Amino acid sequence: MKLTTEQFTTLAHELDSVKQQVQQQLGEADARYIRRVLLTQRLSALSGRILLVLGFITPWLWLAGVLLLALAKILDNMEIGHNVLHGQYDWMNDPVLHSRRYEWDIACDAGSWQRTHNFEHHTYTNIIGKDRDFGYGLLRLSNDFRWRLRNLWQGGTYLLLSMLFQWGVSYHELAAQRVFFGKKKLERHSQVSDSELKKAFFGKGARQLIKDYVFFPLIAGPMWLWVLTGNLLANLLRNLWTSTVIFCGHFTKEVYVFSAAECETESRGQWYYRQMLGSSNFTGPTWLHILTGHLSCQIEHHLFPDIPARHYPAMAKQVQAIAAKYGIPYNTGSFVRQYSTVFLRIMRYSLPGGEKAVKAL
Amino acid sequence: MLGNQSSLTLYFLPLLQCLAPGFLPGQYRARLLYRQWQTADMLKLNFSVSGRWPGFVPGQHVVLTLKHNGRYISRPFSICSPLSLWQSQRQLQLCCKINRNGEFTPLLNQLKNGAVVNISEAQGNFVWQQPAAAVVFVAAGSGITPVAAMLLSQRHWMAPVSLFYRCRGAENAALLSDLQQLATRQPLFTLTLSDSRTEPAETLQQQLIANSSNKQFYLCGPAAFMQQVRTALTNSGVNARQIQQEQFGLVIPAPAEHTTDTTQLTASFIRAGISTQVTLNPQQSLLQSAEQQGLRPRFGCRMGVCFQCVCDKVSGQVRDLRSGALSGHGTEQIQLCVSQPVTELVIKL
Repeated sequence: MKLTTEQFTTLAHELDSVKQQVQQQLGEADARYIRRVLLTQRLSALSGRILLVLGFITPWLWLAGVLLLALAKILDNMEIGHNVLHGQYDWMNDPVLHSRRYEWDIACDAGSWQRTHNFEHHTYTNIIGKDRDFGYGLLRLSNDFRWRLRNLWQGGTYLLLSMLFQWGVSYHELAAQRVFFGKKKLERHSQVSDSELKKAFFGKGARQLIKDYVFFPLIAGPMWLWVLTGNLLANLLRNLWTSTVIFCGHFTKEVYVFSAAECETESRGQWYYRQMLGSSNFTGPTWLHILTGHLSCQIEHHLFPDIPARHYPAMAKQVQAIAAKYGIPYNTGSFVRQYSTVFLRIMRYSLPGGEKAVKAL
Repeated sequence: MLGNQSSLTLYFLPLLQCLAPGFLPGQYRARLLYRQWQTADMLKLNFSVSGRWPGFVPGQHVVLTLKHNGRYISRPFSICSPLSLWQSQRQLQLCCKINRNGEFTPLLNQLKNGAVVNISEAQGNFVWQQPAAAVVFVAAGSGITPVAAMLLSQRHWMAPVSLFYRCRGAENAALLSDLQQLATRQPLFTLTLSDSRTEPAETLQQQLIANSSNKQFYLCGPAAFMQQVRTALTNSGVNARQIQQEQFGLVIPAPAEHTTDTTQLTASFIRAGISTQVTLNPQQSLLQSAEQQGLRPRFGCRMGVCFQCVCDKVSGQVRDLRSGALSGHGTEQIQLCVSQPVTELVIKL
């Protein structure tokens, strides 16, 4: 399945033209779509917060409030925040939906996210030692990592990580830079100083905590406990959902990993190839795609991170055909199937041994 | 903090736009009442403007923002109507040169009556400062718009004022009838048309020099034209401080004849944490170079007026296309649309 240099060139050419076709038709329909999602997000956030207080009429209203607030937080995090911060809507010149301006409703500072996720993860996808998203420095996901005692209970670690996912994401860059613990890695050079990182981390984190656990409970008066619990649950639901979606994107059974040396002088075709092998999709109805921010089409997202995500399902058909033509594995399946392989992987590698991940190049 | 955006207005923007279509924070809504061709390519648009708009000083311009095919795009236009129209009826007029191959101006001709656009606060310092002194206005082509606003707004005439209006014949002179009426009404005002098809520029310059003593000059028109007039005036002894000017459009200086420096410049544009290497064309603005490589920085007027494309230059030197001024080498904010690369650059979009 190793491709020749010419094949890599034509592969890049074909995928570029898939991208170009979509780029040419960007316009009114995309703008209307994302503005409608934003409006839905705002309306569900507002109605959710109001319903939490109305829980004194019947707890069912409170429950509806929790679900609506969780929906708002998921939309803000995935279909809006993640995609806007990738610059997918920069062409609209919008005062809100622009990667330079958008700030989202999670603990992670948008700037920090753009550095760790957009740059590190998207550039060095699944390169062991470079892409810290592969296991987040917490989980052992292949035999490329030495087994340590703490891996024995990584099922529990994973559950905790999922529940506190926004804080994991927020702390990600500080962990990589060894801001608080560990020895600095000499080869890492950062655009921002440690003190700026700390300021962004504590500043954004504190603002989020005060908003959800001090301000809104306070203005709810006697309903403060209901509101506080509701906010906590909404954040928890969003954390579990985003973590689950993201784990399905890179840690399923047939996902490939790479070594830094393999990728040092890679061509555009090889980069595309690595993105296809390093990601996995899952299938489902349209609403599921929207709730995942179209990260259900993780492969297409990794190939074309700055194309408005609503085009991914249509592009997936073309990409899958191209993959088949070149004999490149295209990892897709139902949500349940993909997630169960993720879970099995976490469990399997909590024990010593196991297989090394497939090396691709 | 509550909405995670820089202001609560931005958080509620989707809802506010449902209530008031076209609402944009920091902008004012203007409804098109009618439009009317002044000449073959000059279109006059008459807007009814939101009462919140803080008003203007004649000679100033506004940045007009339209939504087209999902994007917000904007350009600056001078106000051509007198102050009284705004004060009495909350209306203003823009006189725009329609470039049929352009991206923006053809859209103005497609606006329907009743359409809502956004305008900025009035900007610019090309205004009539000393109405008591004798003044010579020199306008060429669409440069007439701010000058017309100044003249038509003037209530108390205290000193002689002359306008030299250079254009391709009377049929291509926008706002001409208004100015002619003013000339018949107001004895202190003289209007001289200069036909660029029959009359060489030198004749106009000689006329200007002939009565240049103790006068203030206000120039508005294409950059090359103004440069000529300015040079002629200063050579004949007019103090540079007596000359005010406003220019339209960006003039990108022609490449030097013998560019020995053929080295390709590159810039790293860092957007959303990802660095993209871009080969720069030293003849173009950074905005154009970035766009040609598929980057999509935020932009607006593309001529240095609206400050939407301001971004952080981390290192390297740029030249301001309008003034030719060189920047420093360190970290500072630059406007992409009017900056030309001088050295290798690192820019955060």
